[in-house]
Amino acid sequence: MEQSIAPDRRIDNIDEARRRNNRTGFIFLIVAIGMLGMGYAAVPLYRIFCQVTGIDGTTQRASEEQAAAVVAATGQHISVRFDGNVSGGLPWKFKPNQVKQDVVIGEKSLASYHAVNNSARPITGTAVFNVSPTQAGKYFNKIECFCFTEQTLKPGQEVEMPVIYYVDPAILDDPDARDVEQITLSYSFYESPKG
Amino acid sequence: MATTAPESFPVHEDAHHDAHADHKPAFFQRWFMSTNHKDIGTLYLIFSIFAAIIGGGISGIMRFELQEPGIQYLTWWAEFLGNPAGDFDSALHLWNVLITAHGLIMVFFVVMPAMIGGFANWFVPIMIGAPDMAFPRMNNISFWLTFMGFCSLMMSAFMPGGTGMGAGTGWTVYAPLSTTGSPGPAVDFGIFALHLAGAGSIMGAINFITTIFNMRAPGMTLHKMPLFVWSVLVTAFLLLLALPVLAAAITMLLTDRNFQTTFFTPEGGGDPVLYQHLFWFFGHPEVYIMILPGFGIISQIISTFSRKPVFGYLGMAYAMVAIGVVGFIVWAHHMYTVGLSVNEKMYFTAATMVIAVPTGVKIFSWIATMWGGSLRFTSPMIWALGFIFLFTVGGVTGVVLANGSIDDNLHDSYYVVAHFHYVLSLGAVTAMFAGWYYWFPKMFGVWHSEFLSKLQFAIFFVGVNLVFFPMHFLGMNGMSRRYPDYNPAFELWNWVATRGYEIMAISIAVFFANIIYAIVVRKKAEGNYWGEGATTLEWTLSSPPPFHQFETLPVIDDKAGAH
Repeated sequence: MEQSIAPDRRIDNIDEARRRNNRTGFIFLIVAIGMLGMGYAAVPLYRIFCQVTGIDGTTQRASEEQAAAVVAATGQHISVRFDGNVSGGLPWKFKPNQVKQDVVIGEKSLASYHAVNNSARPITGTAVFNVSPTQAGKYFNKIECFCFTEQTLKPGQEVEMPVIYYVDPAILDDPDARDVEQITLSYSFYESPKG
Repeated sequence: MATTAPESFPVHEDAHHDAHADHKPAFFQRWFMSTNHKDIGTLYLIFSIFAAIIGGGISGIMRFELQEPGIQYLTWWAEFLGNPAGDFDSALHLWNVLITAHGLIMVFFVVMPAMIGGFANWFVPIMIGAPDMAFPRMNNISFWLTFMGFCSLMMSAFMPGGTGMGAGTGWTVYAPLSTTGSPGPAVDFGIFALHLAGAGSIMGAINFITTIFNMRAPGMTLHKMPLFVWSVLVTAFLLLLALPVLAAAITMLLTDRNFQTTFFTPEGGGDPVLYQHLFWFFGHPEVYIMILPGFGIISQIISTFSRKPVFGYLGMAYAMVAIGVVGFIVWAHHMYTVGLSVNEKMYFTAATMVIAVPTGVKIFSWIATMWGGSLRFTSPMIWALGFIFLFTVGGVTGVVLANGSIDDNLHDSYYVVAHFHYVLSLGAVTAMFAGWYYWFPKMFGVWHSEFLSKLQFAIFFVGVNLVFFPMHFLGMNGMSRRYPDYNPAFELWNWVATRGYEIMAISIAVFFANIIYAIVVRKKAEGNYWGEGATTLEWTLSSPPPFHQFETLPVIDDKAGAH
């Protein structure tokens, strides 16, 4: 097959060749492990990304001071609808006390939900929330919400769960969101994982 | 690999290499403890054919079930596979198990082993003038990990998976169906199968990258490598960057399922959509992992039988690099319906369509290679021409589906099924058959029948088009994928598709008849049996190549067109 090859073309130093291979192989092993790490890093990065950008209807959280600093857009109304549901296994009744609120953009409003534990045991639940349409997420600010913490209900206990929120007037400057006339705020209660 | 066996590094046995070039170890040692890239390549090819029989058989069960509306055969199969008699839910669950197994087997245990494990193992070292892979023992581990992964997947079919036996999650293993929706060990075994196959492929990727970077023969610069080697290099990088992300995602699934973590569980602050992002960050490069080696094979074949170097060699090489790079930033076009904003959809639509540009470069360069060439219509060439046609059809429907707005309508319909089967089942598999007939005499030293190869192509081409082309109509009319039953309005084209499957099955019988022909007739193949036009290094060796090749490295001279 091969003819008259100069001696220097042979791999004479097999140890050197192996060292080179081991080094290259090791570098790319590190790359693979790095990508594995990136996969896990995606979990916090994704959460931060959603919170910062309000993408996919992730609502924002504001302090009292931030809310006080907001100048309400005079005469600009938006309606907010409320939805509440519980996940399959949770024996609670959970529904909003108002179907809809008409609010001035930038002004604080109070809404509330009603929850009942229908079971014979105390249950801790967590509410997961979202708004629709999704582009309104970054303008929907909650100052106070039962969803910020876990809620424990004793057997048969009934509670009112308040949420204080406002819609940021910046929504009126966003070409994707300024036409939104109605925002739906939805909560789903899940039983908190034990442990 | 300090523990590399001496026989796998023959290059340093200078004193008596001639006598040892064809010395083969005994049967068990040769095939079960193999460190020889050609033997491992052969093992991968045999394994791939074996897995294809199972994966293709499953698609037959599905195709016959879909021949007419209603449930005909599923209940029988469910009972046959150990579900309680008369349990209709477990029969429906079996459908999910079948689509899951078909997808996973075809992707991880047929196409990847054949393309990367089989052809690339066989020919990358030879084409770059290397004696073997950089880490021969790791090569062996890669194969057996893949094999064990397949065993794990097969075992999962006989374990409880929720409504019935087996993992019925789809090959995408989306949460929450794969977490809270599928109690029982079946899904765990499925995930374990992916871990094993993934680990094997990552090792293979490291092996290929190291081999291609470090072990090229003198004068074989990167820009002189045959395009098949380029395609494997890009593929190896895709594997290296994408598979660990899948490993992370499915490990999170596993801990969500078994150890109360909540990565994808909303009640613990997780998000099931994150799983989809992670999965498709792997999943989209994965489709290029399956097709790029096919591109490489087709380039070699078109060039050989046009008796011309490939048109626009550098453009061809960097088109694959571009496809690989852009392939990492388009993943969300698989999830247009999860609630992406208009801006995100616009970005992913535009980025996805950009891939049509380097792909177009490849298609047109193949045509330009043939233009003015002295064509020979051998069986590999005919398969390669079939590839170009079928892949282009699949590519065009891909451009349609890339549109976020159109996808809202076609998402999870049979249009999508038609699209990805045109690029993979018809594209990648056609490329595999092309490579098979191109290299079969080289690998095994005996000729297949050219007549049977061409006959197989003719039957296969008619069959697969009958199976998948009508699915475009079904999808556009609203037939959803992943259901065993459908509106009777869709019956006609489903009936046609099932007839197409039967025709395709005949072509597979011809394929096996061809192998038997080769075994029985044993017509010896010479070293360069394709003659002028076959210029890469495997054609400088005998057929089959010596057990250890290139004990003295070949020198690539500047004028020879290596590609």
